[in-house]
Amino acid sequence: MGRLPPEGKLAKPGPQAGSLKLYRQLEIICDEGLDCVISADMSTAEYAHPEALVSTEWLAEHLKDPQVRIIESNEDVLLYDTGHIPGAVHVDWRRDLNDQMVRDYINPEGFAELASRIGITPESTVVFYGDKSNWWACYALWVFSLFGHHDLRIVNGGRDKWIAEKRELTREVPKYAPTRYPVSQGRADGTIRAFYEETLTQCQAGKPLIDVRSPGEFRGEITHMPEYPQEGVLRGGHIPTAKSVPWKTAAKEDGTFKPVEELRKIYVDNLGFESSEHTIVYCRIGERSSHTWFVLTKLLGFQDVKNYDGSWTEWGNKVRAPIEKP
Amino acid sequence: MENGTRIPAIEAESVYPKGLQSVVDLFGSLPEQERRDALVSYADQARKWEPKQGESFNLEDVRKDEECTDTVGVFLKVDNEERATFRVTLGPQVQTLTRAMTAILCRGLEHSTVTEILKVPSDFVPKIVGGELIRVRSQTVYYVLTRMKGICKVYLDRRRAAIAGQRNPLL
Repeated sequence: MGRLPPEGKLAKPGPQAGSLKLYRQLEIICDEGLDCVISADMSTAEYAHPEALVSTEWLAEHLKDPQVRIIESNEDVLLYDTGHIPGAVHVDWRRDLNDQMVRDYINPEGFAELASRIGITPESTVVFYGDKSNWWACYALWVFSLFGHHDLRIVNGGRDKWIAEKRELTREVPKYAPTRYPVSQGRADGTIRAFYEETLTQCQAGKPLIDVRSPGEFRGEITHMPEYPQEGVLRGGHIPTAKSVPWKTAAKEDGTFKPVEELRKIYVDNLGFESSEHTIVYCRIGERSSHTWFVLTKLLGFQDVKNYDGSWTEWGNKVRAPIEKP
Repeated sequence: MENGTRIPAIEAESVYPKGLQSVVDLFGSLPEQERRDALVSYADQARKWEPKQGESFNLEDVRKDEECTDTVGVFLKVDNEERATFRVTLGPQVQTLTRAMTAILCRGLEHSTVTEILKVPSDFVPKIVGGELIRVRSQTVYYVLTRMKGICKVYLDRRRAAIAGQRNPLL
């Protein structure tokens, strides 16, 4: 997780040490009053794991890179069919990542089957993008992380940025030769995923809990996300001791992530979260909190963050679960 | 069927307007991928059903509801025989399934009377969208139908009130 890909693995790797140096040089030039344009790649250079984020420019240069597999993951279930980045495959969170019977994720066999179907190997660089500022792309990346796939990246700005830049879309569905992806030993439920009991313990201990839902949901004024009234719960409010930091706090208007210094100011300086402390994030079903999980772990380098995917749809329905309202 | 008695086949009369029935029939025969392609094709046509310049309407209802990700405007024109024509505007964030249902309903309900539209059962929606898409995204598929029925009901209520007012000017 978060490690750099092996040297020479990609024809043109994402922002790494070299671009960091260039970024600093450009800062110096800018200070001297000269005009300059800093590319998205360079602006990501000081993130804790810059390799986890790629720019649309980088992606455009790697569309035909056999090492790279592009995955689109959306809220809008037919959006991929209306046109997608050339070479991208579609992974739907409900159809492909969730168990079809129990509220849970697919098991290691199911993941191996999915990975084999989309033609990736454990060495593949898997790049995710999608609608809604990459909520579902981050969710898919987080689920792939549960199965230990190492080289996982997000396209900064997602689908909207790609389209805003008038880059190519296609309706042609690519076909890749199936692989034999090995079945993982297990699922990393213990390291990056929190369940009810652990979240309750975290709450009772007053340890860091981040509620990334909208302020209205946090306050208990609405029991669903705006636009999703059918996905409500029986009780409104939030988990006691949780701090409200809506996912959007970490994103710019164009859906890209805010620069590292702004993120650090929000989460560390202003709210007092510490990168070494065990932190749990939650939302309604775990998709928006996957976005924040990505921000904390990959961009800010927090070492121990878990996503409570049961989230409010479990907590707000659970008999005797403690609830707080402002 | 007991004792070998055959129950005579009853030709069921369609409960859907003719245009809508033909769409239902079309989708009923499609395998999953072709169903998706057809839905995307309808979604592509949604803009054709926007109001045209100079068109006038009996009722206009443009709003942003919690049920939908962006603003949807429904425009109703009713002719002398009570037959309805719909025009719909969709905000850029409206989801593809909603766009598809917009084109399907504008076409499928065209020239049905407002009374017929109010009686259309919503069970045609899964027949068009398919069990798979209904299962994975149930929240978006009924929205436009609900809005169309809503504007038809308002139209009928106002018309009844107007008729009642004519009969009894003191009302």
